[in-house]
Amino acid sequence: MSEALPVVLPGQTARTMTDHVAGVALGEERSYLWWWMAFLPSLGLLGLGIVATVWLFLNGIQIFGNDWPNVWGFPIFVYVWWIGIASGGTFISAFFFLTRVDWRTSINRIAETMTLFSAACAGIYPILHLGRPWFFYWLIPYPNTMSLWPNFKSPLMWDFIAVLAYIVGSVLFWYLGLLPDLASMRDRTRTRFKQVAYGVAALGFRGSGTEWTHFRAVYGIMAAIMAPMVCSVHSVVGLDFAGGNMPGWHGTDYPPFFVFGAVFSGFAAVLLLIIPLRRFWGLTPYITERHVDVLCKLMLTASLCVAYAYMMEAFSVFYGHDAAEITMFKARIGGFDAGVYWSTIILNCVLPQLFWFRVCRRWVPIVLLVGFGAVVGMWLERYGIVIQVPHKTALPSAWGVYFPTLWDWALFAGTCGLFASGFLLTIRLVPAISMFEMRELITRKLAR
Amino acid sequence: MTKTPAPRQVSGKQWRSLLEDPDTVARQYPVLAEMIGHPASRRRVLQVMAASIALGGLAGCDNGEADGKLIPAVIAAPGIVPGRANAYATANVVGGDAMGITVAHQMGRPLKVDGNPLHPASLGGSDAFAQAMILDFYDPDRAAGIITQGQPSDWPSLQRVMADERERLVRSRGVGLRVLTGSVVSPTTGRTIDALAAAYPGMRWHQWEAASRDTVSNGTALAYGRRLDVVPHVERASVLLGLDSDLISGAPGHVRHARDFAAHRNPTRGPMSRVYAAERAPTLLGTAADHRFIIGGAEMPALVAWLAAAVLRGEQPGSAPSWFAPLVADLKAARGGAFIHAGPDLPVEAQALVLAMNEALGGRGRTFDVIEPVAYRAVDFGADLRALTDDMAAGRVETLLVLDTNPVFSAPGFTEALARVRLSVASGPSLDETGDAATWYVPGAHAFEAWSDARAYDGTATIMQPQAMPLFDGMSAVGVLSMLRPGFEGTPQDSLAAVRASWTSLARGDAWVRALADGVVPNSASRPAQVAIRPEAGRSVIPSVVSGEALVTVALVTRPDPGLFDGRFANNPWLQELPRPLTKVVWDNPLLLAPGLAHRLGLRQGEEVEVTVGAASARLPVWIAPGQAEDVAVALYGYGRRVVGAVGAGTGVDVYPLRYAAGPATLRRTGRVLKVATTDHHDVLDTGDTSDIVRHATLADFMRDPALLQGGVGSPLLYRNPPSGPVAWGMSIDLNSCIGCNACVVACTAENNVPVVGKTAVLHQREMHWLRIDRYFEGPAEKPEAYFQPMLCMHCEEAPCEVVCPFGATVHDQEGLNVMVYNRCGGTRFCSNNCPYKVRRFNYGPYAAEEARPVESRNPDVTVRSRGVMEKCTFCVQKIAATRIAHDISGVAEEAVTACQAACPTQAFSFGNLNEPDSEVVRRKHSPLNYVLLPEQNTRPRVTYEGRIRNLNAEIPA
Repeated sequence: MSEALPVVLPGQTARTMTDHVAGVALGEERSYLWWWMAFLPSLGLLGLGIVATVWLFLNGIQIFGNDWPNVWGFPIFVYVWWIGIASGGTFISAFFFLTRVDWRTSINRIAETMTLFSAACAGIYPILHLGRPWFFYWLIPYPNTMSLWPNFKSPLMWDFIAVLAYIVGSVLFWYLGLLPDLASMRDRTRTRFKQVAYGVAALGFRGSGTEWTHFRAVYGIMAAIMAPMVCSVHSVVGLDFAGGNMPGWHGTDYPPFFVFGAVFSGFAAVLLLIIPLRRFWGLTPYITERHVDVLCKLMLTASLCVAYAYMMEAFSVFYGHDAAEITMFKARIGGFDAGVYWSTIILNCVLPQLFWFRVCRRWVPIVLLVGFGAVVGMWLERYGIVIQVPHKTALPSAWGVYFPTLWDWALFAGTCGLFASGFLLTIRLVPAISMFEMRELITRKLAR
Repeated sequence: MTKTPAPRQVSGKQWRSLLEDPDTVARQYPVLAEMIGHPASRRRVLQVMAASIALGGLAGCDNGEADGKLIPAVIAAPGIVPGRANAYATANVVGGDAMGITVAHQMGRPLKVDGNPLHPASLGGSDAFAQAMILDFYDPDRAAGIITQGQPSDWPSLQRVMADERERLVRSRGVGLRVLTGSVVSPTTGRTIDALAAAYPGMRWHQWEAASRDTVSNGTALAYGRRLDVVPHVERASVLLGLDSDLISGAPGHVRHARDFAAHRNPTRGPMSRVYAAERAPTLLGTAADHRFIIGGAEMPALVAWLAAAVLRGEQPGSAPSWFAPLVADLKAARGGAFIHAGPDLPVEAQALVLAMNEALGGRGRTFDVIEPVAYRAVDFGADLRALTDDMAAGRVETLLVLDTNPVFSAPGFTEALARVRLSVASGPSLDETGDAATWYVPGAHAFEAWSDARAYDGTATIMQPQAMPLFDGMSAVGVLSMLRPGFEGTPQDSLAAVRASWTSLARGDAWVRALADGVVPNSASRPAQVAIRPEAGRSVIPSVVSGEALVTVALVTRPDPGLFDGRFANNPWLQELPRPLTKVVWDNPLLLAPGLAHRLGLRQGEEVEVTVGAASARLPVWIAPGQAEDVAVALYGYGRRVVGAVGAGTGVDVYPLRYAAGPATLRRTGRVLKVATTDHHDVLDTGDTSDIVRHATLADFMRDPALLQGGVGSPLLYRNPPSGPVAWGMSIDLNSCIGCNACVVACTAENNVPVVGKTAVLHQREMHWLRIDRYFEGPAEKPEAYFQPMLCMHCEEAPCEVVCPFGATVHDQEGLNVMVYNRCGGTRFCSNNCPYKVRRFNYGPYAAEEARPVESRNPDVTVRSRGVMEKCTFCVQKIAATRIAHDISGVAEEAVTACQAACPTQAFSFGNLNEPDSEVVRRKHSPLNYVLLPEQNTRPRVTYEGRIRNLNAEIPA
C-alpha cells in the first residue's frame, strides 16, 4: 500500500534539500512569475476588503444583508468557516508531531502558515460583525473603575477567549518552529539587510546543544497544548450555537460536529495548497504522492465523521419531535434554498467517497476537485447552519429570509485576499518546508 | 384618459429627498429655500428648524380669558414643573369625526396624545390617527409660508389682493364667491361661514370629504325623510351583523364602538355577544366576528334584499345559502338586542333597508338612536362638490376659498374646473395639491395651534384649545375666513374670541375652564330625534351592480387607506410605516386580490397590473388578500400624493380616478414586478401550525371544559431565581378584545422614540416597532380565519436573552423587568437570536439620527438609541419610574399604565403589579383562558394571553 510511496524521493540529501528550499526563499528560483500572478490579485482582493471595512465603519451593519430573523449573517458563518480551515494546519503539525508521523515534516510549515492566516481572517470577522466594534474589548475580563465584568455565562465570551488563545498559540507555535530555519537563512543569505532581518527574526538562535535541548522541550510542550486546542476552539464555536435556544442549534451534538467539519475543511485546504506549490517550486521530491495520499485518506475519514454528524442531526430532529425543529428542517431540505443543504451533502459526504479508490487519490484533477468541493461544501454547511436555521423559528410571525449584499461578498473576498496575500508573502520569505526537521528525517532515512 | 403616474420606487431613507432637489424645495418650501440655497448640510437645516421651534415658544395654554396670551417657554407657566408632564384636553377631527383627546406636554412641548377618558367617543382609548398627530404637528415640511403662483410671497401682498377682492365682493354682494370646506363639525367654523354668507348674499358654501359616507347619510334621508345621524349603542347589542362594516375601524365614533364591542367578547367577564359579518373584503369587524361570510360583489345587493325580505316580511328566499336562515333566526330572536351595521360601501337603498330592518328588530332606543346630524350642515358631499365644479367649469365662480380639504387630489374634475376660477385661496395645515394649484396658499393652523370646537358622533361638543403657538405661522380657519369679511382691518379674527362667542352658555362662573379641563361641554350630546321611519324605506330596491363576468373583469371596491385615510396623513412617517392590519403592508397601496382570483390570472405577489375602470387607469402592484371575494379588487385611496412633503413623496399610487370612474374594472398584467414592503416576511399561506400560538376555541367547547386553552407554563427548572422586589410587573393581553386597530403600535412608537426606518429598510426586514401585531391566518386561503396577536417583549423571568449577552447588557431587575442597557450594548445580536418571541430590534443603521423630526418632538424621558445598539419594549420603564418616585414621595400604590394599554380602545391590555391580588392584571391572569406563549421554551414570561373564544351558532354548518 502506501508503504510503497516514499516520504522523500530517493537521491535527496540534507544538503540538496536545504539548498533548494532556502534558495526559493532567498530568491534564487528561476521564475517567480506564478507567484506574482497569484499575489497581485490577492492584494487586489485585500484592497477590496479594506474598502469594505472602511465602508462598514462609516455606515454600520446596514450595509450587510442581516435582518431581524437573521441577525447573524455572512460575518458569522464565514468566521466559522475560516476557523474550521485553520484547524487543518494545527491538527497536522501538532497532533502528528506528537504521534511522530514522518510525513508530517514536509508539510507542517505550509499547513501552519495556512492556519495562521485563516485564523486571522476568522479573528477579524466577529469584531467587524459587532454593532459597535470599537467596544470589542469589553469582552475581556479586565478590572475597571465601573466594576463591570463580561457575562461569564455567555458562550460568546468564551468564544472570544478560545479564539484569542488559539490565534496566540498558533502564532507562537509557528514562530517557534521557524527559529532554526530563520537562523539557517541568516547564515546563508549574502546581503546585509537580509542578514540583519533574518538574524533579528531568529532571535539569536545559534544551534548550540543547550539551545536545541530547550527548543525541543518547548516545541513538544507547545504541540501538546495546540493539539487539544483544535478540539476546544471548535467545540466552543459549536457552543455559540448549541448554547442558544433556537430550534436547530440547540443540540448537544454541535461541539463534536463542528470539530469534524473543521478538520475536514482543514485537510482539504492543505491539499489545495500543497498540490500547486510542489509543482510550481519543484518541491515534489519532499512533498510526494505519499503526502497527497495520506491527506486524501484523512479527508475521507473526516468526511465519514461529518456524514455521521449529518445523520445524527437529521435523526435527532425527528426523534426529538419538536414541531418547530421539524418545520425548520423540512424547510432546509425542501425549502426555496434547499440546494444549499443538498449541495452540502454531495460535496461533504458523497464526493469524498471517491478516495476509497487509490486511482482517485493519485489523480491530481480528482484530488483538487474533491478538495475544492470540501472547502465549498463546508462553506455551504456553515451557511446552512447560520443562515437557514433562523429562517424558521418557533414563532411563525418571526419567519423570514436572508439575502447577502454586495458588501457581504466584498468583505468575504477581502478575507480571501488577506489569506492569500499573507500566505503567499510568508512562503516567499520563509522556507516553505521545515528544513531542520527535513534534514533530520533525510539523515535518518539514509542511515536506515 | 386619466392616467395616474406609475409608482416610483422610494429611494433609500424616506427622509432624504427633502434636500435633494433644491428647485423643488424652493418652490414647495420657500422658508427653507434660502437656507438650502447655501451649501448647508441637512443637519444645519434641521438645527435651524429645531431652533425656530424652540424660539417659537411652545407653552401650555392660558386660563381662557378673552385677552389671554400663550406664554413663551422662557417664562415658565404656572404649574409647569421641569421633568413633569401636564395634560390638556382637546379633540382630533378626521373627516368630520371628532374624538376627545388629551395632549401630554413637557416643558410646554406637546409630546403624546391619548384618548380623553371623559369623552364619549374615546373613553380613554384612541386610534392610530390621534396617536400620530404629534408628528404632523412637528412636521418640518409644513414650513411653506404664503405662496402665490408657485412663488414665495408675503402677508402684505396677500392683504393687497384680499382688499381688492373685498371691494369687488361688497359691490357684487358676493356673487361668484364660493367657500369649500371639509365636513364641518365645528359650530364656530359653521357660524363664521354663515356670517360671511349673511354679509354676501350671493356667496355659497360647499363641503367635500373624499372618504365620504354619502351613502349612509343619503340612506337616512331615504329612510327618515331627512338627513340624520345614526348612533349605535354597540354595548347593548347581543347579536351584531356587519355588512362591509367599518363600525369599529372607521365609522364616526369607532373608538367608542370598539370599546362597546369588546365589552361582550370575553366569556369570562360576562355573556358573549354573537357577531356576524358578511363582506366582500375583510374588515376589522369581520376578523373579530364569530361568523364571517364572504359575499361576492354581485351577491351583496341580493343578500341585503333577502335579509330585508326575511326580517321585514318574514319571507324565506329560496336560493339563500345555508347560513342565512339561522342568521335571520338569531337576529329575530334577539329582538331589541340585534343591530345591523352597513358600511359606506353599500348603496343608498341598502342603507335604507338596513335602517328599516333595525327598526323592525326593535333596536330604536336600544341598540341605536337617530339624532339630528352633528355636522353643522349635513350635505351629500358628492352632489355638493359636483354643483361647485359645474359652476366653476361654467365660469360662475370668480373667487374660491378652500379650507382644510384637498379636492385637487381627491375630487373628480376639480383641477380642470379650478383653472377657470380667477382667484382661489387655499388654506390647510400643510401645502397640498390644492394649495399648489390655487392662486394663493395660506398656511393653516394645525389643530394644536388654534382655538376651535367640534361635535363628536353623538353630538357631544369639545372646545379644542391650542397646545402651542403656531410653529409655522399657520392661520386658523376663522382667521382665513375673516379676511374676506367686509370691513376687515388687517388683523385676522382671533380664534379664541370666535369660539367664546359660540359658547356664551359657558361664560358664567368657571364653566368655560371646566369645559376646557374636561374636554367635554356638559350635556351637549344630542337628544334622539323624534322621527318615524318611512314605510317605503323597507321597500327600497337596490340597483344591481356590475359584476365580474370575464376572467379579468372585477368590481372595484375603493376604501380609504387605513394609515393615510384620504391622503391627508401621507407625510406622517408613523402612519406610512404602520403595518396595515391584515396585509401588514407599509409605505404602499397595492391592489388587493383574492388568492383564487390571483391564481386564475397567474398573478404573483407584487406583480404590477394595469387597472382600467371606464376611462381611468392606474398601475398597481398586486397583493394577495386571503378571505376576499373573488369577483372584487380592493384599491386603497390616499396614496400617490403629488404635492406633499419629503415623507409622502413618491409613495404609492393615486387611485382616486378609478374611484370616480363607473363600470367594471379590467386587469391587465404589465410584466413588471414591484417590491412591496411588508412586515410579514414570509408567505402568508405558509405559517405552518399556529394553533398553539393563538389559542382559540368555540364557546361551546369552552363551556364544556373551561381549562381547555390553558396548558403548562413550562417544565421544572434547575435554577429558579424569581425577582425579589416588592413589585412584580406583569401584563395580560386579551385576544378576544384585540381588533388589530394599531393604536397601540403608534402609541408605543410615540412614547418610546421608536425610529421609522423607511421602505428600503422594511424591505430588508429591519423595521423597529417594539410592539407589533402579529396576524395569523388559519384554514383555506380563500376563506381563512384571521387572528391578531399583539407581540412585545414578554419580560421572561428566565430570559434567554440575558444568558447569552457577553457584555451583560441585558439583565433582570428586581421588579421582573428585562432591562436593556443601551450603553453597555456592543451589538453582538445574540440576544435577538435567542429570543423565542423575536421582539428585539437592532439599529442596523443610525435610524434615529436620520429621522427628520425635531428633537423637541421626542419624549425626553426615553433614551434615543444610536447605531449598532439593540432595543426592545421596556414595559414603558419611564412610566414605571415615575410611579415609583410618586410612591416614594407620598406612599401611593405603584400603578403604571403602559402606552399601549392607555391607547387601546378595547382595553385588550392590562398591566400592573402581580403582587397586588386585587389588581386587574391578576384577575385577568386567573382567567381560565390565560395561557403562556411557547411554554415549551420554559421562559416564564410576565406577559400572558387570554385565548380567543368564538361564539358560534350551532345551526350554521362549519
